Amino acid sequence: MMRDLHCSKGSRPTRRRVLAQVGTAILAAPFVARSGFAQAKPVNVGVVVPLSGANAQFGINSRNGIQLVADEINAAGGLKALGGAKINLIIADSTSTPTTAATVAQRLISQNDVTAILGAFASSLTIAISEVTERRDIPLLTMSFADQITGRGFKNIFQVVAKASVIGKAQFDYTAAIAATAGKKIAKVAIMYEDTAYGTAQAKGLRAAATAANVEIVMDDAYPLGITDATPLINKLRASGADAVFPVSYLNDSLLIIRTMRQQQLTIPAIGGAAGYVIPDFEKGLGKFAEGVLSVDPSNYDQAPELTDRFRKRFGYFMVHEALEHAVALYVLSQAIERAKSAKPEEAAAKLRGARFEGGWAKAMTGGAVQFNEAGLNILSVPLMVQWRGKNLVTVWPKEYAKGKAVWPS
Amino acid sequence: MAFVQAIIDGLLIGGVYALISIGLTLVYGVMGIINFAQAEFLTIGMFVAWFAWSVLGLDPVLAAPLSFAVAFAIGWVVQAQLIARVLNAASVAQIFLTVGLLIVIENGALLLFGSQFRSVTTVYQTMSLSLGPLFISVPYLVAFVVSVVCGMSLWWFMRASWFGRAMRATAQNPMAARLMGIDTGLMYKIAFALGVGLTAFGGAVILPYITVYPSVGSQFVVLMFTVVVLGGLGSIAGAVVGGLAVGVIQAISGLLFPIQLQNLVLFVVFILVLALRPQGIVGAMR
Repeated sequence: MMRDLHCSKGSRPTRRRVLAQVGTAILAAPFVARSGFAQAKPVNVGVVVPLSGANAQFGINSRNGIQLVADEINAAGGLKALGGAKINLIIADSTSTPTTAATVAQRLISQNDVTAILGAFASSLTIAISEVTERRDIPLLTMSFADQITGRGFKNIFQVVAKASVIGKAQFDYTAAIAATAGKKIAKVAIMYEDTAYGTAQAKGLRAAATAANVEIVMDDAYPLGITDATPLINKLRASGADAVFPVSYLNDSLLIIRTMRQQQLTIPAIGGAAGYVIPDFEKGLGKFAEGVLSVDPSNYDQAPELTDRFRKRFGYFMVHEALEHAVALYVLSQAIERAKSAKPEEAAAKLRGARFEGGWAKAMTGGAVQFNEAGLNILSVPLMVQWRGKNLVTVWPKEYAKGKAVWPS
Repeated sequence: MAFVQAIIDGLLIGGVYALISIGLTLVYGVMGIINFAQAEFLTIGMFVAWFAWSVLGLDPVLAAPLSFAVAFAIGWVVQAQLIARVLNAASVAQIFLTVGLLIVIENGALLLFGSQFRSVTTVYQTMSLSLGPLFISVPYLVAFVVSVVCGMSLWWFMRASWFGRAMRATAQNPMAARLMGIDTGLMYKIAFALGVGLTAFGGAVILPYITVYPSVGSQFVVLMFTVVVLGGLGSIAGAVVGGLAVGVIQAISGLLFPIQLQNLVLFVVFILVLALRPQGIVGAMR
């Protein structure tokens, strides 16, 4: 075999040559077949999400949401303004490391001729990618929400949800309102957050809201991503005598925090800060201890069940917020391309800037539409408070969006 | 009282650190190879235990022997087919091999199992024993007790059994060991398989409180090396002392400083130990 390969210098049909020819034919077959009926050049959309490392689960959820909408658009005849061009997703793993995320985005732009990039769930990754997309004038649509993302005056960033400081404020204010409705008063609170861009920004909002409400913050602790033991945190929490705790964390740490609280028989309510608290794995990991846990959430699937049920049907779990928001991001991008009648990045970006999008997946967002301001922030998005009921998340606050009554956990 | 609580928590978690690190020190002590892929066997152990839990309904702690067996078998093959070839090679070759193994195992797990988090639910997961104002976490206690039993058995094995003595003889002088009729190749296989098996065993034991995913090993790899070097590279007693020391240092620093500085404090202590006592707290076997 090895000898065959190395001796193929003549023009005889050697094994290597035959293999190469057959291989080329097989590889080329789909292109030949496709060019038969689709004239329009597909529009490349880059998807950079963490598919490995500590945040992989969220990346997979995001990818599923994007895939759903891309398939829907393609099945419905593609992008009309471009002669039925299909959306071609180019999915890349950002890993959970910001430097890699930036490199991957760079590669997509230089090698794949993308119209826009979607991603990358974790704020620290999105910030790294945005440095690249801004330089290269490629629109970046995101559902990450650290304040920094839209706070740097970038022209090519579009964020479909509210800012972290707003979400942090809502996390506190909604909790205070729900407690007041239940006749409970919160005098002392604890804040613990994961020290990435997301945790730090959201904690800032929480802190400001608590201070504004004259509530004493008895614990305010950051901890590193990838913590493997929450005992020191919970020891501190127990000693602090807080009435409620606001943990802002991804999945593994959220499970550690709730389990360790239960171990230490600490029954004060924990009001999560989205991310790890609002995915099915939270309930899977905690079972009955998840019941009644409150969390703030930038959006929730029960606001538009007619849309989000399509996700549940295809992937077998409820449409988590990162999937929903990424779906919305791809939908508004497709609308912008339709309006621009062009797949050029700068033309699509011009149609996103300051624009309003209605109908389709935009209906799934609070406010029923998406309206970007000049900084690229969706000004209609309002954070929600959700509560675990069995295997589902029910929106319980603010009242105009509530699908169920809030139960104060005690 | 908070101080006593921190010491208790630190000792409990330190016992587990010791268990997962013993394998690393054993492999180095006997073979003189630093296995950078050691933490990946922790991941393998966790996955085996997770599947045992989800398919067979077995508690992870009861599934630990299964994790041990699977990793032992993989370790045996890896040693016989791969490591044996670089035993006398330059250390660069050894590093390349074990780092390569790390990458292969991590990505293999990613390919086979996907990157989602998997966690188990057990009854004792959220239980604790209360001694007055003190709490003893049951999953930590279970892990600690199992670690102690396991560590003691290994100690007995190395001390009293013929295999253990033969292994120590191999570590001290392979040539002399061979002259005394010891099959050193076999000893290396046992040492490596046992080393990775123990780490996998530890993986199963910690599963009740840690979620498993393909890159979970990377959360522990630095910790494992710290434990082993702190105690004395190559010394089993050193790994135990190192593990307990790391656990307690982390817990106490969590009490006195912000949690973020936990590892900073740990590494400051680590550097001090390396500067003042480079052979580690206990000192090496060879």
